[in-house]
Formats: sequence, C-alpha cells, structure tokens
Amino acid sequence: MIPVTAKVPAAAEAIEGLDRDELRRAIRDEYAMVATEPARGFHFHTGRPLAALLGYETGWLEGIPESTIASFAGTGNPFALGTLRNGEFVVDVGCGAGIDSLIASKMVGPTGRVRGVDMTAPMLERAAASARAMSASNVEFTLGYAEQLPVPDAWADVVISNGVMNLFPDKLAGLREMARALKPGGRLQIGDILVSKTVPLSAKRDIGLWKG
Amino acid sequence: MAAGFVGFQITWRADVFSGAPQSSSAAQFGTVGINFRARKAVSEEEWNRELAALNCAV
Repeated sequence: MIPVTAKVPAAAEAIEGLDRDELRRAIRDEYAMVATEPARGFHFHTGRPLAALLGYETGWLEGIPESTIASFAGTGNPFALGTLRNGEFVVDVGCGAGIDSLIASKMVGPTGRVRGVDMTAPMLERAAASARAMSASNVEFTLGYAEQLPVPDAWADVVISNGVMNLFPDKLAGLREMARALKPGGRLQIGDILVSKTVPLSAKRDIGLWKG
Repeated sequence: MAAGFVGFQITWRADVFSGAPQSSSAAQFGTVGINFRARKAVSEEEWNRELAALNCAV
C-alpha cells in the first residue's frame, strides 16, 4: 500500500492549451440544439427512453411537461443515490431543460428550495416554462457557470448534477464551487461519465471530442 | 473552511451511449455513465482525519 498525498490528480486540473471560452461556446451550441430540436439525433440518448435507461421511476416524471422530458440528456441518476428530503435546499448544476430540478422540487416540497443553473439560455427557457406550467414555486432557474454558482456560501443541503461535470473545463474549480455552496455535511449526488482509458493531452485539447 | 469531500463512492456504472443515433468519437476512451456520491466534511478535523487515512493499493 502506498499512501496517497493530498495532491490533486492532473485530470482534475485546468487543461493547458484548452480555450475555455471556445469550449463553452461549442457546448452551448450543442445543447441549444438539444433544447430546440431534441429529436434531431445526437451521440447520446435523450428524452423519456433515456430516463427509463437510467432508472428514473415513472412517478418522478408525473406532471413534468414533455418539452422538458424530451430535452433530457443526462448520463446517470442523481436520485438513485438517495431521495431528497422534505425541506431540503438543492442546487442542480447544469440543469438543462430542468428535469432533475423539477423532480427535486417535488421531492423537497413547498418548504424546500431548488436552484437550477445552466449556461445555455434555450435550455433555461424550457425549464422555466415547465416550472410555470407545474406552478412549481420552490424552484428557480439562473443563467450561470458551474465555476461561479449563483448561491450563497453553505446554502445547499444537496448538490445534484447529471452529465455535466465531464464538460467542466476546470473540474477542480467546479468541485470547489460545489463545496462552497454546500453546508457542512452536505451531499453530492452526481450522474456523470467515467473514462476507462487514459486521455492524452492532445485529446483533452480537442473540443470536437469534448462535445462528441 | 477549506474542508473537502469525504465518502466518495461510485455506486453504478453502465454503457449509456450504445445505440444512440450518432456514434461518439469519445467512445475510444471507454466512456461509461456513472452515479457517484460524496459528502462535504462536517469540519476541518474530519477533513484532516480523512486525508491522513487516505490510501490506495498501487
């Protein structure tokens, strides 16, 4: 056994030579298409079939408008890690069209709060329209970046995210921000992507690979 | 407080990309969907205790 130091793995650090703004623009363009043309066909599954694949319970989706469900593009299931409790405060990082935020809003009830954050305006427009259609008054959606979450320090009981962290240009910055937003003892419940083979630096700099 | 995350655990992994309408250029790196959980340490003491106990087999 070799003790591991506190050094952060290289994979979690900002990537030298990667144009963060260009990456964000490419990701926004891709997910704006998922918002406006969800049936177009992508390199990932979408919508209700994806929710079933990921183990979303039918009851969780009840009452959520189809426009939000159709643009779902997650890679895991934050709620499989534990149901949210009544009255909890939740941040949904990269909320997209709002499916997980709206499920969370039902779980935490009227005394809870949910803040969905995304950098893609067409996704947020769908999310907000769905919240209005559901008369969900405990959820709000805000334009922003994962590295600068628009919530006070130690605000959240739970941070959820689904298929988004892999798109952070600086994963350490994103994790630090999640830690800032959480109360002591607060939970991360995340669906995302794991790579099982080493990704060379040249590939990390290839924006086409990030979005496809 | 500089406390980090403790109790990291991957609870599920699966191929979530097969059969998608388009092929993924990132598939060459063995991408799979996962669920993971962790918890923000409740105190600096807990964080330091977890760091001190951190080991892995190499």
